[in-house]
Amino acid sequence: MDLFLQLFFNGLTNGSYYALLGVGFGLIFATTKIVHFAYGPIFACAAYAAWWAASLGVPLPLAGVFAVAVAAVLGVASFLVIYRPIQVRGAPGLVALIASLGLFILLENLLGIVFGAGNKVIENVNYDVFFLGPVFFTSIHLWQIASLAILGGALFLFLRYTRFGKAIVAMTDNREMAEIIGIDTTRMAIAVFAIGSALSAVPAVLILLKDGATTHMGFQAVFMAFVTVVVGGIGSIRGAVVGGFALGLVQSLGLWKIPTEWQSSIAFVVLFLILVARPQGLFGASRL
Amino acid sequence: MEYLLHIAVMVCLYSILATSFNLLIGFAGLFALSQAAFYGLGAYTTAILLVDVGLPFPLPLIASAVVGAGVGTLLALPALRIVGDYLVVVTLAFQIILVEVAMNWTGLTGGTDGISGVPNYQVFGLSLDSPTSFLPVALLVAALCFWIAWRLATSPFGRSLRAMRENESAAVSVGKNVVAMKLVVFAFSAGLAAVAGSLFARYFNYVGADSFLIEETIYILAMVILGGAGNLVGSVLGAAILVILPELLKFIALPVDIADKSRLVLYGLVMVAILIYRPQGLLGERKTQARTRASSGPGGGEAAAVPLRASAGAAARGRTIEGRGLAKQFGGIVAISSLDIRLEPGTITGLIGPNGAGKTTAFNLLTGFLKPTGGEVLLDGSSTGALKPYELARAGVARSFQDLRLFTKMTVLENVLVALPGQVGDSVFSVYFRPAAVRRDEAANVRRAREVLAFVGLEEQLHETAENLSYAEEKLLVVARLLATGADVLLFDEPLSGLDGATLQEIFPVMRRLAESGKTVCIIEHNLDVIKELCSVVYYLDEGHAMAVGRPEELMADPELAERYFR
Amino acid sequence: MKTLLRPLAAAVMSVALVGGLAAGASAQDNPKSYKIGAILAMSGKANWYGKVMSQAIEQAVDEINAAGGIDGVPLEAVIEDHKSGVAKEGVAAMNRLIDLHDVQAVLTSFSPPTLAIAPIADEKGIFLLNGGGVSSALIGASKYLFHNRSLASDLGRAAATRAHELGAKRMAQLAWKSDAGESVIKAVEPYWTGTLGGEIVATESMEVGATNIDTQMAKIRASKPDVLGLWLFSPDPGLAIKRAREFGMKMPIIGIEYNDQIAKLAGKYAAGYEYTSDYFTPAEGGWAKKFADGYEKRYGEQPEFYAANYYEGTYVIAELMRRAKAKGIPIKGDKLAELLRENPVFDSVYGGKMTFQDNGVAKKRVALFKVDDAGKGVFQHYIEVK
Repeated sequence: MDLFLQLFFNGLTNGSYYALLGVGFGLIFATTKIVHFAYGPIFACAAYAAWWAASLGVPLPLAGVFAVAVAAVLGVASFLVIYRPIQVRGAPGLVALIASLGLFILLENLLGIVFGAGNKVIENVNYDVFFLGPVFFTSIHLWQIASLAILGGALFLFLRYTRFGKAIVAMTDNREMAEIIGIDTTRMAIAVFAIGSALSAVPAVLILLKDGATTHMGFQAVFMAFVTVVVGGIGSIRGAVVGGFALGLVQSLGLWKIPTEWQSSIAFVVLFLILVARPQGLFGASRL
Repeated sequence: MEYLLHIAVMVCLYSILATSFNLLIGFAGLFALSQAAFYGLGAYTTAILLVDVGLPFPLPLIASAVVGAGVGTLLALPALRIVGDYLVVVTLAFQIILVEVAMNWTGLTGGTDGISGVPNYQVFGLSLDSPTSFLPVALLVAALCFWIAWRLATSPFGRSLRAMRENESAAVSVGKNVVAMKLVVFAFSAGLAAVAGSLFARYFNYVGADSFLIEETIYILAMVILGGAGNLVGSVLGAAILVILPELLKFIALPVDIADKSRLVLYGLVMVAILIYRPQGLLGERKTQARTRASSGPGGGEAAAVPLRASAGAAARGRTIEGRGLAKQFGGIVAISSLDIRLEPGTITGLIGPNGAGKTTAFNLLTGFLKPTGGEVLLDGSSTGALKPYELARAGVARSFQDLRLFTKMTVLENVLVALPGQVGDSVFSVYFRPAAVRRDEAANVRRAREVLAFVGLEEQLHETAENLSYAEEKLLVVARLLATGADVLLFDEPLSGLDGATLQEIFPVMRRLAESGKTVCIIEHNLDVIKELCSVVYYLDEGHAMAVGRPEELMADPELAERYFR
Repeated sequence: MKTLLRPLAAAVMSVALVGGLAAGASAQDNPKSYKIGAILAMSGKANWYGKVMSQAIEQAVDEINAAGGIDGVPLEAVIEDHKSGVAKEGVAAMNRLIDLHDVQAVLTSFSPPTLAIAPIADEKGIFLLNGGGVSSALIGASKYLFHNRSLASDLGRAAATRAHELGAKRMAQLAWKSDAGESVIKAVEPYWTGTLGGEIVATESMEVGATNIDTQMAKIRASKPDVLGLWLFSPDPGLAIKRAREFGMKMPIIGIEYNDQIAKLAGKYAAGYEYTSDYFTPAEGGWAKKFADGYEKRYGEQPEFYAANYYEGTYVIAELMRRAKAKGIPIKGDKLAELLRENPVFDSVYGGKMTFQDNGVAKKRVALFKVDDAGKGVFQHYIEVK
């Protein structure tokens, strides 16, 4: 039972990590219809940016802010330089996806060239370790959950109650209609790339603190974000959150009795079975 | 020189993978992410059969293809019930699970060590153990695989695949069994990828799970998109570029510590640049003009002798379709309740009523696109409850869609061709083993399609892509496509809305002739002038059932209806 | 048609270009230099290995050339990339090395590419020396394949011996989900439960380079072990040590690798970690110290285990080339292998001599190290595996 509780808690923390990644990725995907795979290396760039700033002696919170800025700038730049020209030419969505893979390879290796090989760790970070009964966790774990609650909630409120946010939602629902009623979809897309990428910087910094950064950390991140979004339902923050937790919990609790050598496929076996039983997906897409 | 030949072998392998993947993605529009899994399946099958069982050539190769195709079909069975983006996840899941199984099932696959020492091909005592000696085999197999893919893609079956890609429900409405088509294309795609895997095992003599990861699927996907989805030659080109480019980049001298990463940066840059410059891929989707034009050349006299009226309807069997007590609920919402409707041969029936009255739902029930929650549909007195929509279409009940659902990326001629019933080339067996019959049938079909198009006045636009047509032309093409099915019961969902008076005057005679030839015609229409002009019976639908039935003048004279609808 | 021709023309031109370069490069009968190939992880997940290995090779080549090369002919290293263990990349690299550079000896790394190039080595008679890959499947993969590294399975058994010394009975093991990790499990399990009479209470796997191992740690903690064996390689032991200690596990942790990367990741938790390794500390002086000083001067960091092996491997190949020249036989891979078997004793950067056994593996002494509070591995004693 102790193990179950611990695994449950692990599932929650991983789930909130996946969910936050999914929220950012899903926002971009739902609004612009671009499968932005380069979300992964931008996530990695954010972690490296924070590491670089911190190693120059910048206080950690400021380094985090710097990481957010770097991610937002890279996200917007990838839209303006790559995706927009492709979309303007009326290419199908797959093309943007492949271009984003090209960008993925480019950025990941650029990181390797600039920062060299090996793990980047912020030394002498101290964070608290807690024991709640049999369950162990650290303050980073708590931050993972808190960041989802704060940022996810803020985004939810932003999309629901601000003019700008409503325009984004309108574009998510129907791009053509949004254009007809006078929404500047390019501006919205830029905003969405900025917000979505900025969101990814937060879990990136937390992972840097928890496990260190590597140039290839982006693949797993964008991969899980992608699966989270598809499981939860595209175009829905709530869906991404539910999808993220579902994925995190399945991955963690699934290994309660099953050997860990099956770790990377356990979530997919469950997904496979669920989707075969419920072909329309776990949750339909809904607004917000 | 061996190095160059090695690259050539790799181009062969990836050509097979990219062309087979293109069948799924570019032609069938099925976004599956498991190509590398089938590649690996083929490699492991060959390796295990050679090393553990010792089967002689060509059994392992055949076994690979069969296992690949078989597992592909098995995967497709549940996966195809899954809609849209979820297919991506299911196939992705399959990809990851398969690799994990290969890593963990040590007894069979050697686990993380993989399988070493797969024997080389032996030809007349010569061991094909170098790129030089292996290349002819690779070329031969790649050419064969390309031919198989090409034959499939350019056949009428391939045309049906593209129609399904463009619009699945429209493909169903012209009588295509899309489930069977998906299974077949999955089997072909997976089987061919497994053949590439078999070559892999023979060439590298070593099979390990690391070679078949999701990254490999993405790599192959990039080849397809770069070359151009829906263009098989493009896939070969895409494979060649993505294999050769990194090798070329090796010749740029760079400092050792950053050399290979810099090359990958350049590689990514080139990929992005190509796609910005040519978003449709290097080669766009191929138009099939040349072939269809050739086959419609001289020698078409036989068809000219058959008057259009014959092909479009003289053979009409005079069929009656009837809905009895039809009901349909979506969740708690009642769309149709106790609807009785009867469509007679030789008449044009009109369906009118306010928006949301259930007119389109009624069509969906009659054509089997929706199953009623109550009541039944009878075709000439026998229930159609067990028939799937495509079967009903083949049985002679066809419909159009309010939102047209044309096969937009296909030509006008293809849009009609695809709808012709009973095509020999829709059978995969015939495509490969009765090519002459397919060719003959195709030539006849092209003639029929041209007649149908001439009938609606689109003969000038034969080779125009559907998406380039004007709105009126699109409407005409919808009519032509529906006629081409040869169905006896024709249900038109707002075929005339948005057309100007002159065009209407052209279409009215078409409709009347259809009825005169014995067809059963029903149209949903809002324009009462059109109803008066064409229909002999009108059903007024409101709140899910027929509030009134009668001749148009009768209904319009009804004061209550006038109040509710006609004003 | 124009659109079709353009890429086609580009393709033809590029093939011609490759052909031209290939022809130019292979025309060397009386070489201006002897070339050694190396197929390493220069990009991808494990590019850290490629970095240290290639650095050490370059250092060795420069040193050898400064001392007059191979009887006056300079040595040259050609570094190729297998993208962190992709078999087909290894084969492409091997073909390139043979074809474009006429290489006769290749330093290889990682199991999958090494297994995939082994048949080519057999066919073309190319000498292979592996200082990184540790899978047992590598043994005998090619008659020209040698290893100047202790197999991970030997290190694992030594680690188990140490755990036994500490009086542990219940071992939990965390291993890489790779041939390297699994070969340790395969070696340790029978030894621990059989010869040493212990019990395995948990066997967990982790992906190479995985960052999230909370599940594994939770399961290990729940199994209440009295020793934790880490059958992991750089940098993952660092993360595992840190996570285990954070999880409140106090039992001894014993592994088979330690270096700067691991130290950085483990941080303050590294202290007390014990590991078995065949790398001697340069403090002993001699060649080891000379190598370490040179390396630090060139690259600004301490060399470690993998650097040492590839540095040493380069010297082994240079020595074989010298022997061939002395005997007047042509420098061909198969001849180099024959010469090695004739006299399998070489100087080792680890101190003293090393001897290649019949199975192609160089036998080195295995020692136990313990990490002190400053994060340095301190030599304890040699370990004899029962």
